[in-house]
Amino acid sequence: MKSIAGVVTIVQEGRFQLFDAAGVSHHFILHHGAAADPEQLPSLVNRHVRVSYRDSGAMIGHIATDLRAESN
Amino acid sequence: MDLHPRTPAHSQSDLEALIPDEAELTAGVVVRPGRSYGFFTDTTLCIGCKACEVACKEWNNLPAETPALTGHSYDNTGALSASTWRHVRFVEDDVRADSQSPFQSGWLMMSDVCKHCHNAPCLEACPTGALFRTEFDTVVVQQDICNGCGYCVPACPFGVVDISTLDGKAHKCTLCYDRLKGGLEPACAKSCPTDSIQFGEVSELQQRARERLDHLHHIGRGSAYLYGAPGELGATGGLEHLNAFFLLTAEPEAYNLPRAPTRPANRVVPSLAAGLTTLAGLMVTALALFARRS
Repeated sequence: MKSIAGVVTIVQEGRFQLFDAAGVSHHFILHHGAAADPEQLPSLVNRHVRVSYRDSGAMIGHIATDLRAESN
Repeated sequence: MDLHPRTPAHSQSDLEALIPDEAELTAGVVVRPGRSYGFFTDTTLCIGCKACEVACKEWNNLPAETPALTGHSYDNTGALSASTWRHVRFVEDDVRADSQSPFQSGWLMMSDVCKHCHNAPCLEACPTGALFRTEFDTVVVQQDICNGCGYCVPACPFGVVDISTLDGKAHKCTLCYDRLKGGLEPACAKSCPTDSIQFGEVSELQQRARERLDHLHHIGRGSAYLYGAPGELGATGGLEHLNAFFLLTAEPEAYNLPRAPTRPANRVVPSLAAGLTTLAGLMVTALALFARRS
């Protein structure tokens, strides 16, 4: 399982964007089996998180399977 | 971890307040709860720039599909889906007809979207109440209530609603419900450079559409007609009218629109009656057979 750390910048329903330390934006969709709910995402805006994910073949984005807030 | 210097530039807006009634500045309409809002899409003005698609994806944070040509046209989005709520359809029309030079072709471009039906079949089919009618007379899926049953998908006569296999929920255009609540024009209409997509109160849009239709007929575009306005094609089968309606110049089928969409709910009573009649017939037959044997 791949993982990436960064800052959550935009949240909309179960979708969010993460900026990594290199300044690259990554697009994620929260998987239905993820260890987090869409309702929890707004509280992660501007916070450092680590996202476990897998690639989505059909879309320019990743499927988030786990999110962990990291200490800022 | 250090914050990259570009990060703040990509964050959500941190303005202290919205511009009051911004839609009045951009679309000439004040957004107020209790009124009916929608889109009038004039396909004769669409240039196929797909700005509406991009604006929709930007505002709603929807992922783009992997770029690839479908082989059907220059349109690489293909169709409305769980992650594409506005889709500009490229229809090649009248290809190398006698009226055109061989190297030319005619393009019909049409920005398709959820129709936010007056009598919305998706809403009628939803067993959880996740699909609801907002205070702006639009139809929205509440993501935290949707259980992904998918009943809304076949109920929609236009094939708009889609279930995402990634998050297991139904998705479709919300007519920018969050923007309307803030007094903003929907992102697609605001970004349309030719005003092919017009946002406003439905009654006012219907009036504007009829005036536009009269003008087109007057200048010789006799093929133009309205789709989804009251009493017109697309507003059939109990749908009454579509809050997002269109001005088209070719047959509805050319745009992959049904000529006479209907509410599935219309078929509940006849189906129930047919089932009960069948049951009664079987019971009468069984009783007759039983009586004859005894």
